Amino acid sequence: MSDPTTPKIIARLENVSYMYPRSPNLVLTNISLEIHQGEFLGIIGPTGAGKTTLCLALNGIVPQFYGGRFFGSVHIAGLDTLEHKISAVASHVGEVFEDPETQLISTSVENEVAFALENLLIPRDEIMARIPRALAAVRLEGMEKKHPAELSGGQKQRLAIASALAIQPDMLVLDEPTSQLDPVGSQEVFATVRELNQTLGMTIVMASHASEEMAEYTNRILLLSRGEQVAIGSPDDIYSQIELLIRNDLRPPQVASTFYSICQRSGYHGKIPVKMRDGVTELKRVRQQVQVTPPENLSQAIPHSGEPLISVKDLKHVYPDGTEALHGITLNIYEGEYILIIGQNGAGKSTLVKHFLNLLKPTQGVVEVGGANTEQLSVSELARRIGYVAQNPDTQIFNATVGEEVSFALNNLGFPADEVERRTVEGLESMGLLEARHQHPLSLPKGDRARVVIAAILAMKPEIIIFDEPTTGQDYRGARYILDISRELHKMGKTVIVITHHLYLMPDYAERVLVMGKGTLLLDAPIREAFHAVDLLKSTYLTPPQAVLLTQELSQLEGRPLPALLTPDELAGVFA
Amino acid sequence: MATVSPVGKEREVKFLGGTAIDGAPVAYIVVLAAVVAALAFVPFSVVLASGGSFPMSQGVFSLVGWVLGPIAGAIASGIGTLIGVFLAPHTAGVAPVSVWGGVVASFAAGCMVVGGKRKNWWIIAGILGLLSWLVFVGRAYLVNGVSVTAILTGSFGQYLGVLLYILPSRILFAKWIGGKNVGLLFLGLFLGTWASFAVSHVAQSVITYWMFNWPEEVWVMLAGIVPIEYIFRCLAGAVIGTGVILGLRAIGLVKPTYAVY
Repeated sequence: MSDPTTPKIIARLENVSYMYPRSPNLVLTNISLEIHQGEFLGIIGPTGAGKTTLCLALNGIVPQFYGGRFFGSVHIAGLDTLEHKISAVASHVGEVFEDPETQLISTSVENEVAFALENLLIPRDEIMARIPRALAAVRLEGMEKKHPAELSGGQKQRLAIASALAIQPDMLVLDEPTSQLDPVGSQEVFATVRELNQTLGMTIVMASHASEEMAEYTNRILLLSRGEQVAIGSPDDIYSQIELLIRNDLRPPQVASTFYSICQRSGYHGKIPVKMRDGVTELKRVRQQVQVTPPENLSQAIPHSGEPLISVKDLKHVYPDGTEALHGITLNIYEGEYILIIGQNGAGKSTLVKHFLNLLKPTQGVVEVGGANTEQLSVSELARRIGYVAQNPDTQIFNATVGEEVSFALNNLGFPADEVERRTVEGLESMGLLEARHQHPLSLPKGDRARVVIAAILAMKPEIIIFDEPTTGQDYRGARYILDISRELHKMGKTVIVITHHLYLMPDYAERVLVMGKGTLLLDAPIREAFHAVDLLKSTYLTPPQAVLLTQELSQLEGRPLPALLTPDELAGVFA
Repeated sequence: MATVSPVGKEREVKFLGGTAIDGAPVAYIVVLAAVVAALAFVPFSVVLASGGSFPMSQGVFSLVGWVLGPIAGAIASGIGTLIGVFLAPHTAGVAPVSVWGGVVASFAAGCMVVGGKRKNWWIIAGILGLLSWLVFVGRAYLVNGVSVTAILTGSFGQYLGVLLYILPSRILFAKWIGGKNVGLLFLGLFLGTWASFAVSHVAQSVITYWMFNWPEEVWVMLAGIVPIEYIFRCLAGAVIGTGVILGLRAIGLVKPTYAVY
């Protein structure tokens, strides 16, 4: 007889190995795992670890849809995924993918929820009953008639979750559901998923790079690397093993990094907390044992002056549908600056930088590049001076090989053949893509595709380089790799502008921060001042890095102001 | 990637049911039907005989057949063109005939295979093309008294294509389309589009000529216009097709059972 206190097993994987068609390598190797009813399992691992493949194996899409070679077995609610139709397995497993845009196909929110049910031949009355329940579960009541395109990023992802919930699955599988979202959208998704887990007892499996949130919300973490199961345990067990995470190119939560660094520097032997609230508790303990000595010399951004390279005066932009995206923005950007632009989705960040390239024209006001009004310059003239790496690399890729992609603009601008070749090779080398020169760009992982676009931009040798969300969809190593390149470019004297929601990545790179909210410039300040303007950041739905929050917590405990520390290392340094 | 050997027993992988038509996932059919419908908006040339313009979608009918196979391809092109004639009447021509043309072109292209169970399906399209051309030109000569010279020059593009389709050149083009050489892929798509679209073209012309009976002067004009139209139609098919096929191969998306690429 089974023990009634032991949760029921929803999914059982036994020695699962898998190889995609036309690939000689295993992407999953001997994975054995049991997933219990009501648990929240997190899957972490660097790009190429097999997280997505494992998620797809949980509803039979791998291998039924993709083909290839499959070893072992996956049972979902007792069904062998190789012996039952995907539709039968899908009634037990709801799946939500990375990009909400690719999952929504209907013309209204309620039609979207009904779509899968109609395909499963659920009677109409039942469909009508399930729609409000599914929308209520994700807090989208009252939006039934809206077009999905009218929803925010977080709302779109919640709609995708509602569509999966309507099937009433035993288990919800989410593959990087927040990587395309701003912090508030990400919080919405995590809060929704936790509510489903805690109130409805739904089993959740989520693959994500969001280590702070994964540490906070999950019950168990599975660490994959190169298709193999490296470790499995509680978030406290896994995320406190900093060296294990670093070895696998994973970013620990900043609170864990901070205390790991404190232990290394001060000889303190406390536990390494992985959640913010535990970090605050541990902070109180550590300051009782180790003296706090604020650093005397913190790096400070050097103010730039002179003639601005980019000058924006009273810029206003109204889209044709009447949306007022920018309201009277005025700012100057100087040669050699490294600027970070932050703000919630819809704050106007991308709209602003598109004016620098004349991709958008001001409704009111003036934008000048090098003293010339951008409206009087052609896009191709500006493209020689400003390189723009768009948010989604796939929108900029259209050639059949990586080499052609990098040389495309050079050829179009009429460079001589030997110059094209030299610059192409330089661009490819700088991105570590020379060996992939003859491959089709779409055969590369998303992180590498982003590097193809950057290589193409670098080959143009522009004075100003704009990275629009360059770290989206990248693992920690990929994100650092791209940002390290941005730093190299900055050191070479280029002006670098980065738009990102990943604030924790930026202290090592940016000097000056433009905080935007609802089309206005809320703050223009050096990074130390901007990241410590916590209330202002929260007003535009941004979450400051945990190291910043811990610094402020420590200031309160000490009863005196501390310098504006930004990173776990800087914070740990005060305990040295 | 991992070097460890699998411990679990290897399983037979099969696609159990699901939403596919003739081995092509319905999602693919929907996407390509949408592409055909979208390309129907783009006018490509003035067609004298029946008036109006021919749409750019004519350039991809054959590609749809090679990507999805003859049946699923015909369905996708048929649905796409049907939607296109309503949404883009400026390129619709004689609407039912246009839909028929999409169906026949994709079917004929999908039947261009090197071997396998369907290696003789081309005969259906080949006979349709040949008979249609004979009836088309027969009516011109016997009923409307058009001169042989005008007929042979005015329908040169069509019978050249039908010949390329009926002869073993059809197999050669299919080999090129399925091969790795990008240059030959482009050429295979260009000539394959010419051949398969010609079958469709005569299958349409036999109807439109019965309706309009255009005079000899138009036949003479067509002698210069039709080959140029064919060149542009086939260039569209080859340029779009090369990118699509290379992209599909690169991303390793599941290949429909009867895809030629």
